[in-house]
Amino acid sequence: MARILVIDDEQYIRTALREVLEREGFDVSTARDGKSGLKLLEEEGADLVITDVIMPGIDGVAAMERIKQAHPGLPVIVISGGGNVSPVDYEPGAISTSAYLASADNAGASCTLTKPFSRRDLVGAVRSLLGAGQE
Amino acid sequence: MERLINTVQGRLVLMVLLIQAFLMPPLFLVVDRMVHRTMTDNFVDDVRLYSQVFVNEFPMLVDPNNEQTIVDLLDAAMLGGHSSYAALQIGDELYSSSLMSTSEVQRFREDFKFGDHDDHVYYLSIPVGDATPMKILRLGFDETPVEQNLTAIRKTITYVAVAFLILTVGTMGLVSSSIVGPLKRLQRASRSISSGDVDIELDSTSKIIEIRDLSADLETMRKDLVGMNARLQEEMAERELAEAERRGMENYLRQAQRLESLGTLAGGVAHEFNNVLQPIMLYTELALEDVPKRTSASINLKRVLDLANRAKGLSRQILMFGRREERIEFRPTDLREAVHEAVTMIRALLPATIDIRTGNDVAIGLVNCDPYQIKQLVVNLCNNAYQALEGPDDYISVSLNEVIITDAMGAAANLVPGEYVVLTIIDTGKGMDEDTVRRVFEPFFTTRDVGDGTGLGLSVVHGIVMRHNGDIMIDSEPGKGTRIRVYLPLAEDIED
Repeated sequence: MARILVIDDEQYIRTALREVLEREGFDVSTARDGKSGLKLLEEEGADLVITDVIMPGIDGVAAMERIKQAHPGLPVIVISGGGNVSPVDYEPGAISTSAYLASADNAGASCTLTKPFSRRDLVGAVRSLLGAGQE
Repeated sequence: MERLINTVQGRLVLMVLLIQAFLMPPLFLVVDRMVHRTMTDNFVDDVRLYSQVFVNEFPMLVDPNNEQTIVDLLDAAMLGGHSSYAALQIGDELYSSSLMSTSEVQRFREDFKFGDHDDHVYYLSIPVGDATPMKILRLGFDETPVEQNLTAIRKTITYVAVAFLILTVGTMGLVSSSIVGPLKRLQRASRSISSGDVDIELDSTSKIIEIRDLSADLETMRKDLVGMNARLQEEMAERELAEAERRGMENYLRQAQRLESLGTLAGGVAHEFNNVLQPIMLYTELALEDVPKRTSASINLKRVLDLANRAKGLSRQILMFGRREERIEFRPTDLREAVHEAVTMIRALLPATIDIRTGNDVAIGLVNCDPYQIKQLVVNLCNNAYQALEGPDDYISVSLNEVIITDAMGAAANLVPGEYVVLTIIDTGKGMDEDTVRRVFEPFFTTRDVGDGTGLGLSVVHGIVMRHNGDIMIDSEPGKGTRIRVYLPLAEDIED
């Protein structure tokens, strides 16, 4: 059974993703920020990581760079709320998530999803990435 | 009186009068004296000569012993010499002309000069020969004709003097008016110049050199003034223009900053919104799976999902407005295709009765753009135009043209000078007032009823235009309609 690690600071998103993916038959573990996510990955391992980009502490892009260093082949799905908002506040001129998504791409994200995405979008992305990884 | 004396004319005439007042009496006296003397001297000489001739002839004509011959001769003397008195004294005897009365004979009083004794007769006595008894001829000549002549001459002189006076005064008047006339014209001109009308040309045609020079100098001054005035006005106009441009730019910047911060804020709101929508969508989908199909719970959950999707669309639109670093695919595009597709789409969406006219299909250059966004822009603008339509005769017109933006136009429109494609969308609907026009690009600003529109359409359009380095201009008048022009720069290297 494929194991998926979900990292997002929003509790309801974590639980929703967990339930959707579990119903699809995946083994899911969740973390609320980049630091604990990385720790969990080291402890339990995963076949795929889904991470938000904008989070307190180690953000999604930084987390993904470390993941890619430790596990070069591990597929990572980056999810984002869109909009131009900084991790700290809504100051005008703050870096936008498009920029984050661009840097996520550069850092080697396998796929990016913009919130809100449907169950089908998510499952489709996960299955195609895992399928590709297994073949 | 003082006013009269202190004018040029008054002064000159007064001067002439004074000169004549001093000169005329002595001149008159001298002339009178000379004429008087000449005439009386002539008279006296004449009568003396006549008398002498008479005396010389006397001995040959007169027999001293015959009284009758004496009287005859005396009569002849009176008649021939125009004398009024003739008498001869021989010793103590006095013979007189028979033409005189006795009383007249007694009047004789020896005169020494013309006019003596005021008796209007010049009496003289001349000795005749030197024999004794001594004979003395006494003759008297009427002075009246000479006196009358003198009076007439005096009168003539007076007339001449008066005529001379009048002539000189008149001449002075004319001369002074030829000086004063141009001066007065100069004065009028300078007054009108000082009251602001600097366009009156100064007349410098006077024959008097000083006045002509003065006029010429003043005219030069006036021309300088006119030039200075024109330069000043030009400068003021330039300054006003610059000021207007500056204000326009300030307004534009203020507006742009406002829209940018609104966009940022909206982007932040959308971000949070999406984080809320995400679990709603997923939980609803999970719940839908759990409830039996075609139950009211299932139907309601589907509705929740639909609404979540609509909210997702809204959020996308907000982000469209706010995002500036969107990864869009810009490629050189012929806008006619994009606009044609958009118009086809909006025709399908709007009621068939709506009249959408498309402009003539002139060839235009390629624009570096994202065709998808341009289509969205056209659809949004047409939708707004449709909302503004009122009567069955109203219509929407969509056209494309190429324009060249010059420096001056570019400053007003905040565009870099160069070649642009302008997309013009006109509706003949209800139009907008100034306040509305000012706010149309604000997100969530809508004139429609709540629930009838999102207020995001034009914000999205604005975001798209800005991302394409273009500008958008709205001209609208309540009751007449609205014209929206979207300027998009032509792609620079079309060859590539």
